[in-house]
Parts: sequence; structure tokens; C-alpha cells
Amino acid sequence: MTNSTLNFEPDRRHFLALGMGAAAVLVLPGAVRAADRAADIRTLAFDGDTLLIAGATLRASLDGGRSWQERPTPSPVSSIATHPARPGRLLAGLARGGVAVSGDGGSSWTTRSDGLASGEVTALAVAAGNPDMIYAAIRGDGLWKSEDAGATWALAMDRPWLDAAERDPLTLVSVDLDTGMGGIWIYAGTEKGLTRVPDCFCRWQDVQPGNAMDALAAGDAPPAEAPLPADEPVLSLASALTAPSKLYAALPSGVWASQDGGVVWTHKAEGQGRAIALHPRDENHVAAILNGALKLSRDGGATWIALAIA
Amino acid sequence: MRRAATIGAAIVALSAIGFAVLAQSETDEDLVEGLSFLGEPVTVADISAGQALYAENCASCHGAELEGQPDWRRRLDNGRMPAPPHDETGHTWHHSDWNLFIVTKGGVGAVVPGYESDMPAFEGILTDDEIADVLSYIKSTWPDRQRKFQAEVSVNDKGDL
Repeated sequence: MTNSTLNFEPDRRHFLALGMGAAAVLVLPGAVRAADRAADIRTLAFDGDTLLIAGATLRASLDGGRSWQERPTPSPVSSIATHPARPGRLLAGLARGGVAVSGDGGSSWTTRSDGLASGEVTALAVAAGNPDMIYAAIRGDGLWKSEDAGATWALAMDRPWLDAAERDPLTLVSVDLDTGMGGIWIYAGTEKGLTRVPDCFCRWQDVQPGNAMDALAAGDAPPAEAPLPADEPVLSLASALTAPSKLYAALPSGVWASQDGGVVWTHKAEGQGRAIALHPRDENHVAAILNGALKLSRDGGATWIALAIA
Repeated sequence: MRRAATIGAAIVALSAIGFAVLAQSETDEDLVEGLSFLGEPVTVADISAGQALYAENCASCHGAELEGQPDWRRRLDNGRMPAPPHDETGHTWHHSDWNLFIVTKGGVGAVVPGYESDMPAFEGILTDDEIADVLSYIKSTWPDRQRKFQAEVSVNDKGDL
């Protein structure tokens, strides 16, 4: 043991190191907690201007992500859906099965699963043109619909058949584009990519240009297509009510956007995408989980800012 | 002589008009009110023929009462969908005349390329007129609401499949 060790005299370097250590002790747990909260998020939605993030818990931000309020959930949430014609009404697909409805922005909940199959609700959507028409995908089962905001349920159709097997919809979105069958489309993301079904539920089918068959019949070159990457699951989809041709998708490769109902897609953001939501009145106002963080874009995905989840 | 020829010509003309009126009135009586297929009026005889053709060619899968196969919303083991009902409980009435005609004639793959279905293409089995008769028969069984809905879908069909 030397005198220098016994006679410790702190200098500026020691104070700096001590300060940085203290800061790390104070700040890092918060950062870890924030990262944990983002990792917990499975689904996003806008209820008017309120941004909702849900998973094991539900949080709501009324100020663009600057502050958050925790709300109760009946059980862990796998999917959440809203409709601008029903402000304050939240529909939650539950990871342990069933659908819950809140009429007060998530402060209280009622379970509505009469007739619904048991099993995890992997995806939930509200019909764009009918706020009381709800669609729910049940893992290992099929697509169910309720015409009375969840009070009663009936099987609409089996799951999509892709790559020689049935696939669970991991995400659903009602897209207000005419099917030519007196209704609109429901798009689904699966582990094997994107598919869609008309709301008459005649058949799941690939997304193709509206004039593809005309071109085929006329012997013309097929219309341009740029589909989503074929080897990735489509984890989350969002459709713009203000511009129905505009879609967003979250994939492991990032955020993708389409201006034409899902025929041509462009890569908007790199990173591990997991969930995505669109503001009901602004198709350029996008929230997404990217690389485990909650991010917001006000310009259609061109630039993003990270939001802290306090 | 000229007078006799004039009277004869008048009789022939009146007879022709009479037959035409008679034929027209018979056709009008034969038409099914409020029902058309691809814009053409449908007669009772068309529906009768369509019903017989349906029994021969379609009922084995879609059901004698148009009820479809059991549990038709669930896939078969081969991954294909069972034959749906053609009555108001199914989705047939969501499709335009043109779409139904093309699906029946060319199979589902004619409207959704690559789609695998147990439904055969009836081209070469039924003539276009026979397909129209079968579909007219199916349409004739629908309640008013479904008929009106489908009529509107048909009017709005611009030919896109």
C-alpha cells in the first residue's frame, strides 16, 4: 500500500467521473424503463388527437407524446381500434381472448365476446364506413365480424390461405376503396405477406391493380407493381381515412407506404418496424414503433422524432 | 279489280299488326317483373330452363335449395373453400351480372388469377345463354333487398373484374 493510495486527494477528473457515474445511476434506469415500455407496446391507435399505446398496459397521450397517462386494461391488449365517428370509444382485442370496449377513452371497460371464438385476438379493425361494424381475427380460427359494436359476433370467413397453409392475420385494416361488389376491402398482414378480402367475404386474394384483368384481356403489358418484401411478415397496417388509397405498413425492415391501395410500396424508414397508426384527419401524421422506440412523423414518414414514454 | 287488291292488302296489313300485337302481349306476360340479366329482360321460360340446368350442373355442390355446402365459411382439408350458398345467406348477390357470368364461364381464376377452387369453368359445358338462364334463376330466388343491391352493383360494374 502506498502513500498515494492512503492520502487520496480528489482532483477535477475524479469529480467528473463521479458526476458521470451519478448521472448514469439517475438517468439510465429511466432510459431502461422507457425502453421497456416501448418494448411492451404491441399496438398503436389515434383516438382523435389522443395517441394510444397498448400491450401489457395502456397509455394515452393528449399532447403529442410529451406526457402520458396510464389507463386500466381488462387484460393484456394485442390490438386496439378506434373510429373518428365514435370519439372516446376504444376497442381492444385481448391477448388472452375476447374483445373489450371502452366508451370513455379507456378509463373503464366492458368485455364483449358473445358468440366470439376463444383464443387470442391477433387483430382488430373497425369498418371505415360503419363504426359499429367490427372485425376480429382469432389465432388458429378465423375472421369474425360484429355488426353491433361487439355485442354479438359471427364467423365471417376462414383465415387466408398463403404458401400452402392457413395464416393468422397479424393485423387488419378496413380500406375504403370500392371492391366492385357493393362494398370495400379488408386488408390483412400475415407472416407470409399482405392479402385482402372484400367485405362480402367471398375470397381472400392478392392485392392487384384494378385494371390488371383489363390489361390481361387486351394483351397489354401488366400495370406496374412493387409489392412489399416477400420474405417478411406484415406486422401492422394503417389506412388513411382522409385518403383511402394511402396505406402504411410496419415490417421487420421498417415502415413502408403505398399511395395506390397497396400495389406499389416505397420504403419510408429503416429499422425494425412493429406497429403503426395514422391520425384520423391527417394522413401524413404517423406513429410507429421502430427499433423498439415510439416515433412520430408529421410528413408521411420522411422524417421521424422519437417520443419518450414516461 | 284495284278495289279488291286494296282490300286484300289492308287485310294482310291488319293481320300482320294483329299478330305483332298478340306476340308482343304474350312476351310481356312472360317477362319477370323487375328482373334482368346483363341488361336483358328475363322470361319465365328462361327461369324454368335455368332451374333445370341448375339442378343438373350446380345443385350437387351448391345445394338443391341453393343452401351451399355445410360449414361453407371454413376451408376444406385441401385449403379450398366449400361451395357457398346462392341464396340470400351467401355472397353471390354482392357480385355483378358480369362478374357472375365470367366466374361461371371461366372459373374463379378468371376474376382472381391463380385462385384455386373446386368450381369448374363451365365454358364448353353450358352455352352463354344457358349460363345466363342459370344465373337468372338464382337471381329470381332472392328477396327484394338482395335483388336491388345486386342490380345496383351490376349497374356500377364498369367491367373491372
